[in-house]
Amino acid sequence: MNISKTYRGRTAAAVSLTAVLALTATACGDDGSGSGNEGSGKGEITFWDNNGGPRTAVWTEIIKEFEKKNPGIEVKYVPIPIADVQSKYDTAIAGGGLPDVGGVGTAYLSNIVSQEALEPVQDRIKSSGLNGKLVESMADSVKVAGGRGEDMYTVPTSANNGTLWYRTDLFKAANLEAPTTWAKFYEAAEKLTDARNNKFGYTIRGGAGSIAQAIDASYGQSGITEFWKGDKTTLNDPKNVAALEKYAGLFKRTTPSADVNNDFTKMVAQWDTGSIGMLSHNLGSYQDHLKALGPDKFAGIPNPLSDGGRRVQVSNPVDGLGLFRASKNKTAAWKFIEFAASHESNSKWNESAGAIPANTEAAKDPWIAASEPTALGARSLTDGSTTIVQLPYYLPDWNNISKADNEPEFQKLLLGKVTAKQFLDKIADELNAAQKEWKELGNG
Amino acid sequence: MTAALAEKHTGPAPQPVRNSPPPPARRGRGRERAFDDVPRWQIYVPLGIYLVFTLIPFYWMFLFAVRPAGSTSLVPWPMTGEHFSKVWNERSFAVFFQNSMIVGVATLFATTLVALAGGYALARFDFRIKNGFMLALLCSQFIPGALMLVPLFEIFKNLQMINSLGSVIIAETVFQLPLSIILISGFIKNVPMTLEEAAWVDGCSRFRAFCAVVLPLLRPGLIAVGSFAFVHSWNHFLFALMFLSEQDKQTIPVGLNTLIGADSVDLGALAAGGVIAAVPVVIVFAFIQKWLITGFSAGAVKG
Repeated sequence: MNISKTYRGRTAAAVSLTAVLALTATACGDDGSGSGNEGSGKGEITFWDNNGGPRTAVWTEIIKEFEKKNPGIEVKYVPIPIADVQSKYDTAIAGGGLPDVGGVGTAYLSNIVSQEALEPVQDRIKSSGLNGKLVESMADSVKVAGGRGEDMYTVPTSANNGTLWYRTDLFKAANLEAPTTWAKFYEAAEKLTDARNNKFGYTIRGGAGSIAQAIDASYGQSGITEFWKGDKTTLNDPKNVAALEKYAGLFKRTTPSADVNNDFTKMVAQWDTGSIGMLSHNLGSYQDHLKALGPDKFAGIPNPLSDGGRRVQVSNPVDGLGLFRASKNKTAAWKFIEFAASHESNSKWNESAGAIPANTEAAKDPWIAASEPTALGARSLTDGSTTIVQLPYYLPDWNNISKADNEPEFQKLLLGKVTAKQFLDKIADELNAAQKEWKELGNG
Repeated sequence: MTAALAEKHTGPAPQPVRNSPPPPARRGRGRERAFDDVPRWQIYVPLGIYLVFTLIPFYWMFLFAVRPAGSTSLVPWPMTGEHFSKVWNERSFAVFFQNSMIVGVATLFATTLVALAGGYALARFDFRIKNGFMLALLCSQFIPGALMLVPLFEIFKNLQMINSLGSVIIAETVFQLPLSIILISGFIKNVPMTLEEAAWVDGCSRFRAFCAVVLPLLRPGLIAVGSFAFVHSWNHFLFALMFLSEQDKQTIPVGLNTLIGADSVDLGALAAGGVIAAVPVVIVFAFIQKWLITGFSAGAVKG
């Protein structure tokens, strides 16, 4: 049955609806780059936790103490899952709705800075109680990652450190020394492997996050201490190529074959529940190992020494608190940042996370000495024994290059479909082009 | 009167037989004969292998959820409820569960109602842009939700609906509608027009005829569309993450993601959260399995 109708009225209605929707969609929004204002110093501020969930309890405690000491200021806490924090910020920058304060890591700091969403905080630091109390290397990392010279776009709160976790019980049973050098590391990886009985010397990261770890292993062995030589990266230096070739050669020989898809969750879970000798991760997984293995079956040390007797490792992202430009209550927001980065709060937060505090006074607290891996990590960053190769987090393309573009390439390398040289040449070409483009925009 | 009408017109009308599959008894006997010729192991071994692949991840999730932290046992004994207690009480899963339920049920009703209206229009009316509209509905299925995030965010912000479950319900409904409308229109087309016409002759309005005669026949389709809308909105992560920026408004998928930290993951809590998230979906499918399969096949094949 056909029912015919006139269309004029409907067409008019459709056009009107489309116009209304279009106007709604394009209405002036707060795109995150608005200048905001200092506000009254009282009222509600919003804080986005960039590692929401695992740190919710400690943040809740810190916020409660802050509100007690600052009556009239209320902090609305919003936990954001770490894997999606960047897209959450990007959407809020594009559509509005940014918080007053947010946790921002150096891995994605430049992306937010380039969208003019964050306010420089170096002047506020100078006139606050934090002046001279922030670990210098972390402050430098924040400056470099922001990519705007001496401007600091976050107040650093904590850093992580690459750690080689190893099973002391398995090492003892095999009569092996702690893997303090790369030579000892390779020896242990071979000796602890008994593939028939599902025992392996090492677990390699082949899935998400594999590139930073592979680069860390390359520089750690080669002993090269600079990421850039002029305008070209040293990444595909023949020494790095040889080092990576040796490292990737561990795959399947001394590692489970499923490692090709390992992200950190699978890698850590596999190490905590199986019979694998060593794991390269950072201090952040300490509590997981402790829960799974107990205190006596494992230990963590900074990355092994190279053949030249020097420890070289790539920079780990530094976490910090950013003050958003669009905040309508910057005075209250800054008070919260200052409180969260203070000795007591910073110490409490880092103790809970097992990370290295950015507050110099917090870094001297007794809990650090009690946690051996953290103490070793903190010492290696400050006693001059370690050279940190600064990764170019400031490049807007860094995340694409070090993740989506090349993680599948690393899997090809593990599976023998490309060589270490081809793999590093490809990344080096992309980094050189990104660096050139970044400089052409007047940076650096 | 209405009941009598429905009975009169939904009884053994001749038209439905035209499109019906062969009588089930004969088809069943044919199947039995075919299966009799196949050795049992050829049926059970592949099914068994498939089941192992399907169920092992669930077993693994259950195992991690109930065994104590640090245990490496491959059997769920001794059992503990510590992970469930942790996610439910400490990690706010009670609130997330309630929010997800509100979003899921509201999306179910909104999608079903609007899809009914849209599907009826497509099935019963001819209009100039009908084919173009159908094409647009189909094409909209190729647009990923992520592409629409910023415009949707702006719209909801201007409507002051950010941080409201309503924004997620509207967004979910809008994204569910194209497929739902297409499915429902397929079902309605299968209901003979003469049934409705008979109701009109007996004095029913179009709406009353639809409610009394057509709607009861759409039950498999409504269940299929409704359950699909519920399950999809229950599991959907992106809109809830982007439009809700308050902890007491977040939903289960966002809550699950907060159990994975930057450098550490509490596998016991994550598995317990996964079990909590899976329970409603499993219950929904267990109860409506029969209708769901009938619904999708009928709507898809005869549309």
